[in-house]
Amino acid sequence: MLDQLARQVEALLVASESPVTLERICELTGCGTESAEQAVQRIEMELASGGHAVVVARLAGGFRIVTDPDLGYIVAQLFEGKRHSRLSRASLETLAVIAYRQPATRAQIEAVRGVNSDSAMRTLLERDMIKIAGRQETPGRPLLYETTSRFLEYFGLSDLEHLPRMDEMESLLKLSADDIERMASELSGDESDQIL
Amino acid sequence: MSADLQTACRINIQDFEGPLDLLLFLIRRDELDVTTIHVAEVADQYLDYIREAEELNLDIAGEYLVMAATLTRMKSRLLLPVERAIMEDYEDPMDSLMRHLVLYRAFKEVASELRESESIWRDVFTPPGERERYQESVTEVDQDQTSLLDLLLALENMSEKNAPPPEHRIRKPLLSLSECVAILDRTLSTDRQSKFIDAVGENADQAVVVSFFVAILELVKRGWLTAEQRYPFAEITIKRKEERWE
Repeated sequence: MLDQLARQVEALLVASESPVTLERICELTGCGTESAEQAVQRIEMELASGGHAVVVARLAGGFRIVTDPDLGYIVAQLFEGKRHSRLSRASLETLAVIAYRQPATRAQIEAVRGVNSDSAMRTLLERDMIKIAGRQETPGRPLLYETTSRFLEYFGLSDLEHLPRMDEMESLLKLSADDIERMASELSGDESDQIL
Repeated sequence: MSADLQTACRINIQDFEGPLDLLLFLIRRDELDVTTIHVAEVADQYLDYIREAEELNLDIAGEYLVMAATLTRMKSRLLLPVERAIMEDYEDPMDSLMRHLVLYRAFKEVASELRESESIWRDVFTPPGERERYQESVTEVDQDQTSLLDLLLALENMSEKNAPPPEHRIRKPLLSLSECVAILDRTLSTDRQSKFIDAVGENADQAVVVSFFVAILELVKRGWLTAEQRYPFAEITIKRKEERWE
């Protein structure tokens, strides 16, 4: 049996349409961070011990109640024909570059991938995986792109720190920072950065 | 062409996400190590592949050809002696290509990890919350997801639709070729030679300069005129060769 606080938190997680952060839980229930965290843990234990079909997931900086992936094949039938297709390899590569190197200009992304990434970026914008983060204050003021919280949810990530191989990628990017800038400036010379 | 290359070419170039992907494929196929590959070897493999793909009339994106040119340049550099003085801050272009390949490979691997997460999380469903009931009346603007640029974008889309069609003005050429020839004929009638800039006039605009330049090329072609320039961007001197230009 769950106590009153845990029940309140559970209700919030069920009714919210996006992940609920710890701060938000504290704000709405009037409890402290530590008790909120413990309440979430009690819900998790309760769900696990009762053999429920849902679990608490840590997504995009908050908590969310989601169905167990094992049951995906059953639930998917509810949404047949409505589900987005998987992202293409080009889109995934492009997304990976933006995720680790955000905010990034299109020229920087293309410098890393070595190919034109227009259509991949268009798909990612349409599917709300990336958004425009402003403009870089360099000649031509190219648009900057960053990932959205939708991106984190889509890949089941709690935050950007939890991207796969974060340390390795960071040191690799540091090693190649000059190369990327050089190639990007070569690229941006002959292309106008228009809004997609 | 070797037999395994034939097989390789049958692997469609469309299957690759660009020249780096193709390079990684060739390196892996030959069980080479990215960090110790020899540029000549890789360049040969790559160029063979591209040539073969071209023969098969496959559509090759420009990026592949740029990489082919880069590899060819690197390979030819190897044949040239490098002066010691230059050696000091000379960076082997192969080093930067290698770094690029290592970086790209890492992103490729991360992308496939993301692919795995995607397939797990695609099978995860969330309660719809109160999305439907409250969304129709008020469209809530997610501050996290909206930026000034979204507004500007929307505005730009609208203004593009309502804008009058762009005006195109077609300008009459200022000087025809025959007019230029007539002027040059006059200029070179007393003095038989002249500087290009004097013939054109110092304040001539771009269009006029180009017209005269084309006229001079035409006259040179016909052998009525010679033009000389000692080095790029130097003064051009034109000399009459034929008396009558007809």
